[in-house]
Amino acid sequence: MLNSSILRQFSRLSLCSMTKTPVNSRNIATTNALQFKITDQLWAEPMKKKKKIDPAIIKAREDRRRKKLEKQIRRLEKNAQQLKPIDEMEVPLHLLDNMDKRKRPQLQLSTEVLEARALLQKEWTRYKRDEYVAHVAQIDRIMAAQRRALDRLYEESEDLYNEAVMPDLQLVPFSTSGPVATPPIKGYDTPDGEYIDISKKWDN
Amino acid sequence: MLFKALIRTEIKLCTKLFTKGFSSKPSWDIATGVCIERVPVVTPPLNEMQKKYKDMLYTLETEKSLKSDHELRHENDKIQAELLKNESADVDLDTISKITAQDFEDAANEELAKFKFAAIETEADKKGDKHTPDRCLQRHLVLVTDVQLGKEKKKLLPQGLWKEGETLRQTAERILLEQCGPELKVQFLSNAPCGFYKYKYPSEINGKVGSKVFFYYAYYKSGNVKNAVKANWLTRNELTDVLPDRYRKSVHEFLIEEMY
Repeated sequence: MLNSSILRQFSRLSLCSMTKTPVNSRNIATTNALQFKITDQLWAEPMKKKKKIDPAIIKAREDRRRKKLEKQIRRLEKNAQQLKPIDEMEVPLHLLDNMDKRKRPQLQLSTEVLEARALLQKEWTRYKRDEYVAHVAQIDRIMAAQRRALDRLYEESEDLYNEAVMPDLQLVPFSTSGPVATPPIKGYDTPDGEYIDISKKWDN
Repeated sequence: MLFKALIRTEIKLCTKLFTKGFSSKPSWDIATGVCIERVPVVTPPLNEMQKKYKDMLYTLETEKSLKSDHELRHENDKIQAELLKNESADVDLDTISKITAQDFEDAANEELAKFKFAAIETEADKKGDKHTPDRCLQRHLVLVTDVQLGKEKKKLLPQGLWKEGETLRQTAERILLEQCGPELKVQFLSNAPCGFYKYKYPSEINGKVGSKVFFYYAYYKSGNVKNAVKANWLTRNELTDVLPDRYRKSVHEFLIEEMY
């Protein structure tokens, strides 16, 4: 509103005659004349001039790209998702073949036997639980003994205590070999067998 | 009123302790004891319960298993033998002349019988020798030596006084070297002591009332104690017999209990 009223005011100042006014724009007005007008906004920028490249170079570029892709495809096709087989997870075929030969005759167990087994299982669970509780108590006892020793040490000397609670780094790769079923024979010469590596190679 | 009276005695005790702490704190010697343990070499025997359960597991396992190659071969041998007995026409003589499964089993058993496993009972066990760690393979053994305490000698864990300027762990290592010789190789399991024991001297020595012993725990690795020292490697039961009563309690506080 404000715009148009201002424009109207300006239009009166124009020097052109009223009759010459072209009636070509979309700004149609029923008022007698509109000599002063603004252009529509286009929001466009002038077109850029296209660069001209030598078609040979373009072709070379295209070729190079295609070759690269082809090479990749070939490499993928060569070892297309071939997974390494896990032999030990697969049942050998010759075992599957005579499966029914290998089945043991089905045993008919009496109820007493089954009952005895169930009872033994229960008794075993109880036994293991007692063992576990005893172990926990034992660990508690040993830890308490150490705590007590450390507390007494703290009373005696703080420096010694601080030294004592330092971690022992020599222990870190700790290894120990546990008790065995039979004692080692002194001076026993182990008969050496032949070692042949039959594991397959799975390289790409 | 009653409360007040109670409080007053408490306060008296506290002040007494407080002044004592400042004025005439009884000073103690710091000593280190080393507990060297040879852990079992051989697994302990199974008890009744474990044996029963193990037997059950074995039977279950065989019931659920499939026949092995050896069993199949054995059955096949039997059939062939039957056929041979009946002089059946279509016996393949080539297959029979082989070694049967039974033969193979016998040979294997014979080989096993020939092999001698080392006995669990060692020489030392037979002689009743307690001075070597090569005894009672299924049990924990603790090193006990004669320790000079004042004028008398006592059978205790190796023990010695702490010197100014060293950590307790270093004391433990030094004592071991001094008392047991350089051949004994052990593995200390911590910088921290695992147990504590204190005792009073019969009379004050150099102004010290008694001694506070901090125990260090170590695994026996190899080697032997030097000959001059009478070393005893004792099982749990023997420990109870040898060690003085209060001392034994402190030592047993940090030792693993034997299950059998």
